[in-house]
Amino acid sequence: MNAHPDLSRRAFLAQLPALTAGLAAPAAVAAEAGPYWAMLVDTRRCIACQACTIGCAMENALPEGDFRTVVATYAVTTPEGHAGLAVVPRLCNHCEQPPCIPVCPVGATFKREDGLVLVDGERCVGCAYCVQACPYDARFINHRTGKADKCTFCSHRIEAGLLPACVETCVGGARIFGDINDPASDISRLLKAANGKTRVLKPEAGTDPRVFYIGLDEHLDGRVDGVSAAETMWRPDHQGA
Amino acid sequence: MNTTVEVLGFAREPGWLPWAVQYFFLIGISTAAFFLSLPGLVWRRHEWRGASRRALLAALVCGLTAPVALLADLHQPGRFLNFYLHPNLGSWMAWGAFFIPIYLTGLLLYAWLNLRPALSVMAGRGGRFAGLYRTLAYGGHDNAGAIAAAAVVAAFGAVLVLTYTGMEVMVVSARPLWHSPVLPLLFAVTALAGGLGLTGLLEAASGKAASAPLLNRWLEFSQWASLLLLAAWLLLAATGTSSAAAQALAGMDRGWLPAFAWLVASIALTLWLARGRRSLVLPALLALHGAWLVRWLVFMGGQELPKMGATAHAYVLHLTPDSLLGIIGTAGLCLALYIALTSFIPWDESAEA
Repeated sequence: MNAHPDLSRRAFLAQLPALTAGLAAPAAVAAEAGPYWAMLVDTRRCIACQACTIGCAMENALPEGDFRTVVATYAVTTPEGHAGLAVVPRLCNHCEQPPCIPVCPVGATFKREDGLVLVDGERCVGCAYCVQACPYDARFINHRTGKADKCTFCSHRIEAGLLPACVETCVGGARIFGDINDPASDISRLLKAANGKTRVLKPEAGTDPRVFYIGLDEHLDGRVDGVSAAETMWRPDHQGA
Repeated sequence: MNTTVEVLGFAREPGWLPWAVQYFFLIGISTAAFFLSLPGLVWRRHEWRGASRRALLAALVCGLTAPVALLADLHQPGRFLNFYLHPNLGSWMAWGAFFIPIYLTGLLLYAWLNLRPALSVMAGRGGRFAGLYRTLAYGGHDNAGAIAAAAVVAAFGAVLVLTYTGMEVMVVSARPLWHSPVLPLLFAVTALAGGLGLTGLLEAASGKAASAPLLNRWLEFSQWASLLLLAAWLLLAATGTSSAAAQALAGMDRGWLPAFAWLVASIALTLWLARGRRSLVLPALLALHGAWLVRWLVFMGGQELPKMGATAHAYVLHLTPDSLLGIIGTAGLCLALYIALTSFIPWDESAEA
């Protein structure tokens, strides 16, 4: 090997691709190392207290009757007659393939590099096409703004180094939020420990959600084949007890 | 098998309000009525002459009202500018923002070219507005070539509008009732029925019934086609050929049965009356009712089916601007436009004399 570097122009040009790759490599590593947010919901720990529902509504100053998250609650009776409580905390799934993005006529909905699916309120026209396209009923038209609204994973709190309000207020610690790019994060460790036994809502929709569930009954992961205690339920147009 | 009762669920309000029903109803009628104006006004078929003029009036009345309903659904009308400033061309709705002006520009141009001779006649009769009629007539020539060219633009726009309104709804896989290839066809066929209905109604309002057999013949076709498409959807759902249709059928509770039975019965009644050929008002009203009912059931009914959980999202009409008042308001705007257009512009053959 020649101890003296070749300083000719040809040698310099020959080395250029390697130099370019070398400069680009740290950037790629940095991008991979950036956070990618997700949530794990351990339904076994949820007691359906709705603290998350109210915490979210307070944190995000939602108008009365609008919710970004809610805990659907079911009474399930087995054929043997054993009855029990089942819960499904629901929120925006911040899907990898969000059906709400392609339908937006003005490109107001977008997915950030950190995995968050957000709405640009300046651009949104309130057409509600995304509300229709979301398979999870996670979106709604905010009564005050007349624009599309949904869970943001409390992006403003994340940017300040805080947890989302629903995670902070969960009394049972059922909501675990974190960076799935960080192998040392709680969510990464729990997902690894679950060893693929987590579920997502409506897997058949092909949306690849970033909200995972532990302990979720298969028959509750989408449209539920059951009856509703409609008179006791909350409705936008009928807020009876 | 477990028994599940949803103790605490979550019912979202419908995202698309009755404004959307009104828009799809009116723009569908407008495009269909425009096509009905072609035989008499472009191809100059004598038997169509009167009906085609009334069809053009129907196309204008509904075509000018429909975008108002659409703007109202945006909560703040000025927001429509974002459709042009930031279009996402992967969305059918974004394309609609371009298709509507193409259609309406073509329609207005086509209407003006057709009305020029009549406006010229009106200018010749003198009176307070003679100068205005003369200006609008712009010579008053009956330029068949220009009319045909404008008709091509409007027809192109009308086809685009019919395509996008059908596809925009059909692509929403999250709504099982909407996600069916039958839907755009059903919208188009019922739009034809609505266009025939309004044309017939305007024909009756002008004291003419000569075109009743002609309109009823086409109305009969549209009703058979509607029944065929509804049967096709039911077949797809019942056999499970379309999983979305099967899912929608399974999700329908008993409340749907009377609505569906009402729709089929009204189509059958329209068909029976249209086959008689002579009656004009009743089949026309029933055809309009059927076209509106299909859209109401598809939009409001489709949004009632739960995406998650077990609760149907019942929609109830209220006396608010985005509900019943919106429906009455668009009907009122149609009436106002009809009065304005018929007060100022002659729509019968006497003006051509």
